[in-house]
Amino acid sequence: MALVLHSGSGNKNAFKALIAAEYTGVKVELVKNFEMGVSNKTPEFLKMNPLGKIPVLETPDGAVFESNAIARYVARLKDNNSLCGSSLIEYGHIEQWIDFSATEVDANIARWLYPRLGFGGPHVPVLEEFAITSLKRSLGALNTHLAANTYLVGHSVTLADIVMTCNLYLGFVRILTKSFTSEFPHVERYLWTMAQKERVNAMIEDQEPFEGEELLDAKCFK
Amino acid sequence: MALVLHSGSGNKNAFKALIAAEYTGVKVELTKNFEMGVSNKTPEFLKMNPLGKIPVLETPDGAVFESNAIARYVARLKDNNSLCGSSLIEYAHIEQWIDFSATEVDANIGRWLYPRLGFVPHVPVHEEHAIASLKRSLGALNTHLASNTYLVGHSVTLADIVMTCNLYFGFVRILTKSFTSEFPHVERYLWTMVNQPNFKKVIGEVKQAESVPPVQKKAAAPKEPKAKEVKKEAPKEAPKPKVEAPEEEEAPKPKPKNALDLLPPSKMILDEWKRLYSNTKTNFREIAIKGFWDMYDPEGYSLWFCNYKYNDENTVSFVTMNKVGGFLQRMDLCRKYAFGKMLVIGSTPPFKVKGLWLFRGQDIPKFVMDEVYDMELYEWTKVDLSDEAQKERVNAMIEDQEPFEGEELLDAKCFK
Repeated sequence: MALVLHSGSGNKNAFKALIAAEYTGVKVELVKNFEMGVSNKTPEFLKMNPLGKIPVLETPDGAVFESNAIARYVARLKDNNSLCGSSLIEYGHIEQWIDFSATEVDANIARWLYPRLGFGGPHVPVLEEFAITSLKRSLGALNTHLAANTYLVGHSVTLADIVMTCNLYLGFVRILTKSFTSEFPHVERYLWTMAQKERVNAMIEDQEPFEGEELLDAKCFK
Repeated sequence: MALVLHSGSGNKNAFKALIAAEYTGVKVELTKNFEMGVSNKTPEFLKMNPLGKIPVLETPDGAVFESNAIARYVARLKDNNSLCGSSLIEYAHIEQWIDFSATEVDANIGRWLYPRLGFVPHVPVHEEHAIASLKRSLGALNTHLASNTYLVGHSVTLADIVMTCNLYFGFVRILTKSFTSEFPHVERYLWTMVNQPNFKKVIGEVKQAESVPPVQKKAAAPKEPKAKEVKKEAPKEAPKPKVEAPEEEEAPKPKPKNALDLLPPSKMILDEWKRLYSNTKTNFREIAIKGFWDMYDPEGYSLWFCNYKYNDENTVSFVTMNKVGGFLQRMDLCRKYAFGKMLVIGSTPPFKVKGLWLFRGQDIPKFVMDEVYDMELYEWTKVDLSDEAQKERVNAMIEDQEPFEGEELLDAKCFK
């Protein structure tokens, strides 16, 4: 019986669980006919996640929210799989890079991107500068690590790679131009390698890297 | 052999691993003589965490950074302990609340607190957003805790340790009792947790903030690396926080003498004009407009037209009007020295926003340019009173003339 993932399509946070499921052979399906702003405001949905946010995973034992937590749960449905590392320190490092991708990569991309799309407060230039500076510091640190590593942890794809790739991917297709990312060549290599992997590629939409500098139309964010 | 945790003392992110260690019986020690800004910039440290942030856990098998990851690692050093849940779904829920406490609680507290501490510029509308988000998140947490003592299951798990540390930080730095009283179950939860022996041993006494910290005047420059670094920094004091000096939560009124008070006295009394404007119900042009020019003092005051630079963004009527409303709220700090009319023009989008402002002095006051970020979103031109057309435009804007420059008025707001 498949697990049901409540989310619209094309949502990078939903991709995390879907890709993890591809690796572990767990059946996870996107709910049908999801309508953003409607489906996640029903009383049934709010019982699953009182904050009304997506994605939410429905399981026979209860609902789980927060995309990284969902991905971890899906990964562990299959014992002893390579996504979770093969030692305690590998586990520690996987968690480290998952959290890093949330606080350092995702958060800074969001602070740059969303005001330009009209979400989350007006566009304030000095705050945007801060976000960009922070993002550069974070990508610099990631670049250093990836100079000597193909994968974030160990020698094969782990959950850290899945989460990091989804977060980076959003940045690459929405706001990070080639001239920006060329400062982080190992991050570029990493992202394009990961995006080409069959199980990853099957999930993410085929999108061209972001070319323009202009403000994005909010409509295209769907 | 104890694991070494690199951090200053009193750092709520370090507390997470230390409390987890108390529960699992793992030995974790804070490094000695840690100096923020120095110890975490050495080449040895940067090998452990290229970002140079704390805390970092040093283990025989390598270093781990990110406080939640460290706490998870410490928790799992002991097999089958209650911190990690006893089933897969419990594990998932623990992870869910750990992430929630990071993205929904910690992030919003940070967005509210750090600008006030001067680490990033303080932008009032962003602070409003942060507070609104935090309230939504605490509301959801409050709902869950109404029927649960612990976040997951019936005993302390890692989720409680992480959530408590993040909440504790908010409680002692910026969340006053009047704020948190809206979330009574969160209050009950926090006080119960910090009084558990393993928590108390690490955190110490907890005293809730009595007031919101005032906005610091100096914000760190955007290129300053300190701004990001301090995000992970310990509250400077020991676990016993100092009582904050009580201050207004609103935009601070300039305490030192305002430069405009030092101008030579003017025969024009701004309040008289505002009274005349408000009280004139009929024959507005003959009484109020004429009265304005009778009392206007071109040496003591100046008139300005403003034109919003991004009118093509004004596609939704109420959003546009809200934008103007927000601008006028932020102008509150110059109420004694200004009068303004803001017009939203047009019958279909995009709407044009134009205004007329009367300021004390010959220039737009510097403190207004500094404190009100909307000012740079408009083009400002001083009115040339020798030009009859400009003078008439002033009149038209004061009296909300319709049609204004050939178009309907959607809205007219007055700042007085």
